[in-house]
Amino acid sequence: MAKKITRFQKFVMHNPFIQFFKFIYLNIKILNVVAMGHGGTRNNKK
Amino acid sequence: MAKVVVLGAGISGHTAVSYLRKNLSKEHEVVIVSPNSNYQWVPSNIWIGIGRMKPKQCTFPLAPLYKKKNITYIQAKVTTFHPEGDAKIKKGYVTAEYVVGDRKGETVKIDYDYLINATGPKLNFEATEGLKPGTHNTTSVCTYGHAVHAWSDLKKLIDRMKNGEQVKIVIGTGHAKATCQGAAFEYIMNVEQELHRYNVRDKATITWISNEYEVGDFGMDGLTVKMGSQLMSSKDLIEMVFEDRGIHIIKRAGVYKVEEGKVYYENLDGEHKVEEFDFAMLIPAFSGHGFKAYDKTGNDITDKLFKGFMIVDADYTAKPYEEWTVQDWPETYQNPNYQNIFAPGIAFAPPHTISKPRTSKNGTPIFPAPPRTGMPSGITAKLVADNIVEMIKKENNHLHHLGSMGNMGAACIASTGFGILKGRGVTITTNPIVPDYKKYPETGRINSKTIGDLGLAGHWVKLALHYAFLYKAKMKPFWWLIPE
Repeated sequence: MAKKITRFQKFVMHNPFIQFFKFIYLNIKILNVVAMGHGGTRNNKK
Repeated sequence: MAKVVVLGAGISGHTAVSYLRKNLSKEHEVVIVSPNSNYQWVPSNIWIGIGRMKPKQCTFPLAPLYKKKNITYIQAKVTTFHPEGDAKIKKGYVTAEYVVGDRKGETVKIDYDYLINATGPKLNFEATEGLKPGTHNTTSVCTYGHAVHAWSDLKKLIDRMKNGEQVKIVIGTGHAKATCQGAAFEYIMNVEQELHRYNVRDKATITWISNEYEVGDFGMDGLTVKMGSQLMSSKDLIEMVFEDRGIHIIKRAGVYKVEEGKVYYENLDGEHKVEEFDFAMLIPAFSGHGFKAYDKTGNDITDKLFKGFMIVDADYTAKPYEEWTVQDWPETYQNPNYQNIFAPGIAFAPPHTISKPRTSKNGTPIFPAPPRTGMPSGITAKLVADNIVEMIKKENNHLHHLGSMGNMGAACIASTGFGILKGRGVTITTNPIVPDYKKYPETGRINSKTIGDLGLAGHWVKLALHYAFLYKAKMKPFWWLIPE
């Protein structure tokens, strides 16, 4: 049985004022995940 | 002076050529070979497929940009690889066939000092009988042309629904080993929302069909995402979203045939079933392009370069799922046999899938292929370009720039409805893409960097990325400040 999205969650999801701050948070989070570097996994420099 | 040739002008090829031109002086030649005349921002195709964007909003012509940036552009289709040259040409070359203009049909030899194969996947519609868009009422959103066709068919369907007709919509994967579930997920959600906009939602039964073992697998073996302060599986997240929107689920399904209004599939229990539809969008299998390679004496050496897609520095040793490690995944995307050839993006042959391979009771493999689209394509293309620039400038073969999908983050920003105030989105970030259970035993990924979020902000993020990445692709001032 799948979980349900509550009415409060829907209110938060659709409220533009709250979502504006979420937008800023998500952009920072995404930058932090994708732009903060990547590398190898084998530790043997060629 | 060095000559770098890039094959393909998609996200990966275009990214590579942009950084090569930026970081190499004019004495070095940068060449791009592509049969396409336009750059397309593929992630926005789903909005073309619901009529909310026009192709010109997601594309731009390549020729004027490359001319302005001093990049040699050859509009041709690559046919063969000759990494050792031949009796006349002493260095590696590829042959390509012009696809437009006075020289259309003519074959040309393009030599190189360094070669980047960024030809991406072949959309292998032929792997599923009857799947080709336009043949049996199925559509695709893999190219902007396909997406235009999808919208045309959807519009006709909406007109039928306005006249009171009940219809069935099926969206998902069109092959037992297809990937790109993310695009299909976005499309089904956007279609569902559009039906509300036209006040016909009650006239449609919408069904998700997928080769995933559980929904939310996305070819990445699923994820455990942080939602607020709680951990939640991507399965629970996507099931919750589908439940909320009244979308039916058919999972573990390997589609093998499409006929007019019917999708035939086999499930993991070995049962053969049929799902009827009035409108379907099914993502095809991806495959290599079937390129051939020859040595300097003309002998076939295709197996030194290709294993479907191009062979790179991955560990291709066959081993069971339980023994797979992140170390199997490539770091430099360099071909081990020819060190001046690289294959970033979707063009490289993955060592194996990320999702657990499963076969039906009849022995049919039914599981998603690994995704390598979007961010990984851009990141791997940039690191390959950076390595080549260093090899040229420092005149050595050291590869300092590494980027394994087992040590790389990505974000999946899925629009689940279009509109500045009525839009919705599912935002998922993951780090790493390939789970590393030795390093992160709990979930295979870094919990603080693997998050999920639902809401309007996700749609805004996707829209912002649309404009940011097109700005970057057009190489406008300071484009390189925008990360891949």
